[in-house]
Amino acid sequence: MNAGKRTHLYNFHQQNAKMTLFAGFEMPLWYKGIIPEHLAVRNSVGIFDITHMGRAIIEGPEAEKFLNYVSTNDVSKLTALSAQYSTLCNEKGGIIDDFVVSRLEEEKFLMVYNASNRAKDYEWLTMHAKKFDVKIEDVSDNIAMFAVQGPRAQETLQKISTEDLSQIGRFKCGWTKLADIEVFLSRTGYTGEDGFEVFVWNSPISNPEKAMKVWSSILEAGREFDIEPCGLGARDTLRLEAGMCLYGNDIDENTTPLEARISFVVKFDKENFIGKEALLKQKEEGIKRRRVGIKMIDRGIPRKGYGIYKDGEKIGEITSGTFSPFLENGIGMGYVKIEHAKEGEEVAVDIRERRLKAEIVKLPFYQRRGDTVILYGKKYPLEEAIKIIPKLKA
Amino acid sequence: MPEEYIVPENLYYTKEHEWLRVQGDTAIMGITDYAQKSLHEIVFVDLPEIGRKVKQMESIGTVESVKAVSEIYTPISGEIIEVNTELNEKPELVNQDPYGRGWIAKIQPEKLDEEIKNLLDPEKYREYLKALE
Repeated sequence: MNAGKRTHLYNFHQQNAKMTLFAGFEMPLWYKGIIPEHLAVRNSVGIFDITHMGRAIIEGPEAEKFLNYVSTNDVSKLTALSAQYSTLCNEKGGIIDDFVVSRLEEEKFLMVYNASNRAKDYEWLTMHAKKFDVKIEDVSDNIAMFAVQGPRAQETLQKISTEDLSQIGRFKCGWTKLADIEVFLSRTGYTGEDGFEVFVWNSPISNPEKAMKVWSSILEAGREFDIEPCGLGARDTLRLEAGMCLYGNDIDENTTPLEARISFVVKFDKENFIGKEALLKQKEEGIKRRRVGIKMIDRGIPRKGYGIYKDGEKIGEITSGTFSPFLENGIGMGYVKIEHAKEGEEVAVDIRERRLKAEIVKLPFYQRRGDTVILYGKKYPLEEAIKIIPKLKA
Repeated sequence: MPEEYIVPENLYYTKEHEWLRVQGDTAIMGITDYAQKSLHEIVFVDLPEIGRKVKQMESIGTVESVKAVSEIYTPISGEIIEVNTELNEKPELVNQDPYGRGWIAKIQPEKLDEEIKNLLDPEKYREYLKALE
């Protein structure tokens, strides 16, 4: 493999995982396998090294004003130690990146964005920051970042945490010590499960001991719950089931948040922001295509680039697809012409010159919030979901 | 993680990692240990239709893992006379037993003697795998 950038955990990954090159990083694709790792997160807990993601600190008297200008969501609504999902858009309303921003202090924010967009985002942010009293610092190489995800995530971390983690609600953040090491936590993730993202501050890659200690302490704490280290393979299948977009597949500069069905991140009632005019125009005129969930009826696995058809006419294309290890069915997402973007619509996916039957379903395919499960967009109590999904364990 | 691959004797191999076992006047084919290990966690096998006439190294189906799709090429020309329908329910058999219960198709060969020269013997296939490492 061509040598790429390495994270603090490189030795662990290299010894235990099948490696892959992703966004310039040598990352674990899987350890035991995508399926057992995926199931561990759905039924118990898993840990991911996501240090490859981009991180920046936005600080200064006009930090809020700046962020509200470059992003589509309303940062002024963020109280201290809260997080928000948002997008950076260009003037045409196309998505430059999607990201999560946390308010650390009144005038200090942490932005977490896609590994593949590190350079682009930093450049875009610094270019627009010139007009504001704000400082942007790329801290990607100074903070290690792990995701601990699954119904047993809180229990796992609580064992080694000095603070009461039940006090940190969904999309809230806080500081604690894990195994005597100061970390920042946010109750966020990319799996459709409860869980935390763990930021090991002041932890340069050249000096990996602190990050390694946090990682191994979490693995040790999670052992009684059969925690699995998880690679990028399971990260992708989990986010897909949860109906979340992957930048470069499901969203890019040619798609808008309205088309991507993440319009909740666009707040038209706030002051001016980049892309507002174009997005407003698109909202008024109506979108022509929209992101939908695709569930195979025939046996087959939809993959990126496959055509979606209705009555012989091409109505769209798959942007992400896989075999769902948990629901045990071919699932995907893609964009279809707006008149076909309705739940229950039967369509065909062109899989190697064969038109296989599929259905448009509501997203997410699967998501769990405590004792409530969403399956193909419909809510069920956990006990009932267990009867429907053979792989779901109490 | 260095891997060891099983390459049984008495089989013929393709450079696309299929194997062929000649049994009397018919032949059975599947994908090799190397192929199943590269794919990992096979979740779907798209089998050819019975009765289909195929040409040597024509794509006759696919094997899919969670992440990837891989074509299955027939090592010889002939007619598909049987397929392993057990794989519809248990595609993981290809991982567990690639040369046995994970077989893909049975073929009535058309010109076996001529085409077998295009295939690799176990020794040559082992050398080929070594070169891939």
